[in-house]
Amino acid sequence: MTPFPGTGALLEHLFRHQAGRMVAHLARLLGPSQLDLAEETVQEAMLRALQTWPYQGVPANATAWLFRVAHNVAIDTLRRNQALGEKTNSIVTELARSATIRPNDPDVEEQLRDDELRMIFMCCHPQISRDVSVALSLKTVGGFSVREIARAFLADDAAIAQRLVRAKRQIREQRLTLDMPRGDELKSRLDSVLDVLYFMFNEGYAAHEGGDLIRQDLCIEALRLGRLVAASSIALPRVHALVALMALQAARLRARVDESGDLILLEYQDRSRWDQQLIGLGFHHFNQSIAGDEVSEYHVQAAIAATHARATGRQSIDWPVILQLYDQLLSLNGSPVVALNRAVAVARVHGPATALAAIEPLESDAKLRNYYLRLAVRGHLLLELGRGIEAAACFRAALECPCSDPERRFLRRKLAECEPL
Amino acid sequence: MPQYMLLLYDNSENRDLFHKMSPEEMQKAIEKYMAWTKKPFTRDSKRLAEDLGRVIRSDRGKPRVADGPYSETKEVLGGYYTIEAGNYDEAVKLTLDHPHLEHGGTIEVRQVYGT
Repeated sequence: MTPFPGTGALLEHLFRHQAGRMVAHLARLLGPSQLDLAEETVQEAMLRALQTWPYQGVPANATAWLFRVAHNVAIDTLRRNQALGEKTNSIVTELARSATIRPNDPDVEEQLRDDELRMIFMCCHPQISRDVSVALSLKTVGGFSVREIARAFLADDAAIAQRLVRAKRQIREQRLTLDMPRGDELKSRLDSVLDVLYFMFNEGYAAHEGGDLIRQDLCIEALRLGRLVAASSIALPRVHALVALMALQAARLRARVDESGDLILLEYQDRSRWDQQLIGLGFHHFNQSIAGDEVSEYHVQAAIAATHARATGRQSIDWPVILQLYDQLLSLNGSPVVALNRAVAVARVHGPATALAAIEPLESDAKLRNYYLRLAVRGHLLLELGRGIEAAACFRAALECPCSDPERRFLRRKLAECEPL
Repeated sequence: MPQYMLLLYDNSENRDLFHKMSPEEMQKAIEKYMAWTKKPFTRDSKRLAEDLGRVIRSDRGKPRVADGPYSETKEVLGGYYTIEAGNYDEAVKLTLDHPHLEHGGTIEVRQVYGT
């Protein structure tokens, strides 16, 4: 018997997602040089929702309401400040025409997805450096605020704000457009888009305090944008491979930490806590990724994640297959970090002594010498070989390296195992 | 049962807070307000338009119309609720958890005459 109309619940993250779509849409109409105006307009539209919906109820079509108000705000602002000079009138006409679009109609939805896609491709322009691209993508298409981005990157607000200002200046000065590149340029731009999404995902995936959901939101956003690219006509098999990889990894987000926020290694995770819907999504894209001959790093990494996902328990993990995949990955990308990860599979297949020998050369690598994970893996192998004193030295050294609090607690736990009471 | 009007005032503090919110935070705030609006004792709620408004004063017996001062004043009436409560104490108690107060706004509680 509530006297208020339309008090239905809002979809989770509705505002964040619609903010991204609206900014992308308005940026196409206003031009990419007016990105700030597009963002302020969207902010104002949401503010009006905040001021009226609590009293009047949520309108029947909340998304259409937000779009209409955003268009009207943009029209008012343009009329007032004439920022676009002689182009103002034609843009105002265009805005007025599109003010009443119904964002849920299939045709309009397709146009909006296209707007988002173009925006991602512009944000990932090679002229813009990768960390700036990530922040810019999160801000414009992701609907994240400066503060949220800063929190996710453990940076301060001012640094992120500055990064965004620089990016927008680059867009203006280099006259970057929302046009999709063609031919070879499209392929190389696609690679930088995937690179940015993968980086965004990994930033969110890096071990963190369980309470800070914003970093998980990064993973979910990277996955969402990846699916957006995968659903477009330019989806090469490697796009599906990356989406598969992200979905399979994201499925394990919940199971990675226990109630007290301590890390649980993949092998020991409670598989019933893995998100089956994301695993299903991962396999769906994995199957699409193997159409054709292309084998990218994303393919091999997705295959490793899929092998883990297929195992029904700790005992049934197919380590020989995983080792083969790591060998393949190492031939595609000879990075010492890959070699380090491979060592875990070597230990399972050939025993800890072989694995220990395999990571010996990494000690001379400048980047890895003081990398907590190399020391942790080494400590772990030594412990398995019964060399507790040397293992303890490794964990102690690892604790001296930069790492997050949950990682630190994990290392302390391992250290305690080395020194029986 | 007696009815009370809750007059919700906006000021520079809550306006600032709202301006700095991310879309996600705005949605969370709306959901909180909505949840309050849906409480069983609310009877009516309206938002006032954000414009200058008009003020009509009597100037030596003649009405004089002027634009309201509302764009400059520190506190502006933003909207109102009508709720039912047994007495003032109860009305105030019911209002104490209104999210407007979390966001720095002000609420004036007035009983509707004759109810």
